[in-house]
Amino acid sequence: MSTPAEVTAAAEHAAAERTGCTCDNSHESLFVPREAKILHTAQPTATEKHFTLQLADGEQLDFTPGQILEVGVMGFGEIPIGLASSPTRKYTFEIVVRSVGRVSTAINKQEVGDSLWIRGPLGHGFDMDALHGEDVLVVAGGIGLCPTRSLIQYIADRREDFGRFVLFYGARDPLQLLFPEDRAVWRASHGIEYHETVDRASVHWSGHVGNITTLFKTTSLTPETRVIICGPPVMFQFVLRELDSLGISRENIYVDLERRMKCGVGKCGHCQINDKYCCVDGPVFTFAEIQALEEAI
Amino acid sequence: MSAFFLKERDLVAFLNKLAKTTRVVAPVAKRGRFVFAEIGSAAEVRLDYDVTILPPKKVFFPPAQRIVTFDAESVSDCIDPVETVLFGVHFYDVKGIDMTDLLFRERNADRDYLAQREATTIVASSVQSVSPRAFWGSIGSSVKPKGHDAFLTKVDGGYVLEIVTDKGTALFAKAGFREATSEEIAAAKRANADRMTECAETLPYDSDAVAAKVRDAFSDEALWDELSNDCFSCGSCNTVCPTCYCFDVRDAWNLDQTSGTRTRYWDACLTREFAAITQPGGHSENFRAHHSARFRHRFMRKAAYLNDKLGGPACTGCGRCSAACTADIADPVRVITAIMERAS
Ligand SMILES: Cc1cc2nc3c(=O)[nH]c(=O)nc-3n(C[C@H](O)[C@H](O)[C@H](O)COP(=O)(O)OP(=O)(O)OC[C@H]3O[C@@H](n4cnc5c(N)ncnc54)[C@H](O)[C@@H]3O)c2cc1C
Ligand code: SF4
Ligand code: SF4
Ligand code: FES
Repeated sequence: MSTPAEVTAAAEHAAAERTGCTCDNSHESLFVPREAKILHTAQPTATEKHFTLQLADGEQLDFTPGQILEVGVMGFGEIPIGLASSPTRKYTFEIVVRSVGRVSTAINKQEVGDSLWIRGPLGHGFDMDALHGEDVLVVAGGIGLCPTRSLIQYIADRREDFGRFVLFYGARDPLQLLFPEDRAVWRASHGIEYHETVDRASVHWSGHVGNITTLFKTTSLTPETRVIICGPPVMFQFVLRELDSLGISRENIYVDLERRMKCGVGKCGHCQINDKYCCVDGPVFTFAEIQALEEAI
Repeated sequence: MSAFFLKERDLVAFLNKLAKTTRVVAPVAKRGRFVFAEIGSAAEVRLDYDVTILPPKKVFFPPAQRIVTFDAESVSDCIDPVETVLFGVHFYDVKGIDMTDLLFRERNADRDYLAQREATTIVASSVQSVSPRAFWGSIGSSVKPKGHDAFLTKVDGGYVLEIVTDKGTALFAKAGFREATSEEIAAAKRANADRMTECAETLPYDSDAVAAKVRDAFSDEALWDELSNDCFSCGSCNTVCPTCYCFDVRDAWNLDQTSGTRTRYWDACLTREFAAITQPGGHSENFRAHHSARFRHRFMRKAAYLNDKLGGPACTGCGRCSAACTADIADPVRVITAIMERAS
């Protein structure tokens, strides 16, 4: 007896033989988006909006932390946005969008009850199997906390599957700090060693001040720690220097890269980094993988 | 498969009949140059063309292609293939089509391209006059043209038509041409082989050696600066290329302001904004800010990155980029020769 998966695989194989095509989605356009209803919104900063969404057809979105969506408003266009919630929290998914230009501003004008049009999940997320059982450090700078929040929630929800869990979060100033409720939970949680900092303090700030690398002094890390870095390009080199001095191998460092994107499916060419496509080979790469790519950092 | 022999008037009669029932796209003259265009009759067809301004990829991947339509309630695709005969394609353009077939099919199959590709029957034809900037005789000779359904070669007294696929068989099934003799088939072979030596430009290097050298030249900033010094970043070299397939995507509303379309447009990696991302506060960051980095990217793609997938360079030697470049710096022969001859 064949399992249903084997039957499907055999049918797909037969179809591939006929058409000479070995892909799984050979009869649909890659570009037709699905409707997602806005269930909830929050406005954590002046320019960022946090959306909780649900697919209009009631299906669940099945994804890995680190994957992205193309998110759009019909008539305005679509842009790549990282998934900010964990797939362990089913039924809804979340994104945080910063208004910088035409499409992001159009998205951020939408309200509860309106729809966003999405394609995805797209790309290559974090290798959760490789992180299984390991000590994990997340270094998130600025809006880099949005895609990593998916991974943070995932680890928090399956805490027993991972080793020690350390989280560094840095923002320019206290007004830029995202996810206040999450941070309160992380701060109180025994399973997460949460450290945050701001580059510039304000009068009401009593926490840590200094750039994100100064947090390395507050804790000790073993060379076997798996590290995830997500933030502005300038942050990478400073963080990498710290990781080098801790003896952390480049195979164990994951980076989340940003490039201009149009298609999200490896066709339009905009997101190329040498011969890799950020949209399908990434956006998550190991540092070892991109070290050899001259255009990466 | 089989081969037929046709007199000129057989071909004319066949095309005239075909054009009455089917969309036929073929080379036609336009202001002293040639373009692929839909024909009404055989009289328009110019099989003696040297090269067309734009490659035939535009039949499957038009310069502006609707990919999604929407209205207030719904969103849907625009895949709507039309049975087409693409007639008179030179072998180097067949190679270009074969390459884009693979690139649109791999990983995520692009039905917006493939549907029209599958609805098209391609009749290749021999090169009767050689364009002055062509170098197809000496590039990627290990890459054999494939993807055409029949091949028409001009010989003394008429044409030899070789049928390659079932689609080709179906197209000519009722034409009533007589079988070609083995001498006629041999004459066609000779005519095509002879042409291979007639290009004015040549690139006498093995494809693997080119791929390795071009890749090695990546960090030679001085070389790329020198080669691209006069570049206007206009993107013409990309636009006319049969193997370029990058695109931009833009939305537009209809007059009613509620319905509209999402369209993809040919885009060019040589243009300034191609790799720029928008940052907060109206700033932007460009991952290939200088024209030399963009010029280099084009050559890395053509001669190095895509080689493994395509079995040779993503360049067919058509020479369109050389002819289209106002600064006359886009010519792959010039650039690759400079790299190959540079002391390492
Ligand atoms: C992997 C990835 C994950 C991202 N995650 C988030 C996120 O979680 N939240 C968030 O707010 N932003 C995220 N971004 C950035 C976001 O995609 C850009 O801010 C957005 O594309 C800007 O589009 P716009 O139309 O508003 O700007 P415009 O200036 O009008 O941009 C024009 C077009 O250029 C392209 N483009 C411009 N900037 C970028 C960019 N930074 N990245 C990719 N394409 C760009 C887009 O196609 C855009 O439509 C992410 C980008 C990438 C590549
Ligand atoms: S190489 Fe020539 S055609 Fe290409 S962008 Fe530069 S100036 Fe334009
Ligand atoms: S790079 Fe130039 S010569 Fe080569 S296929 Fe493209 S247009 Fe033709
Ligand atoms: S976004 Fe189009 S190729 Fe990556």
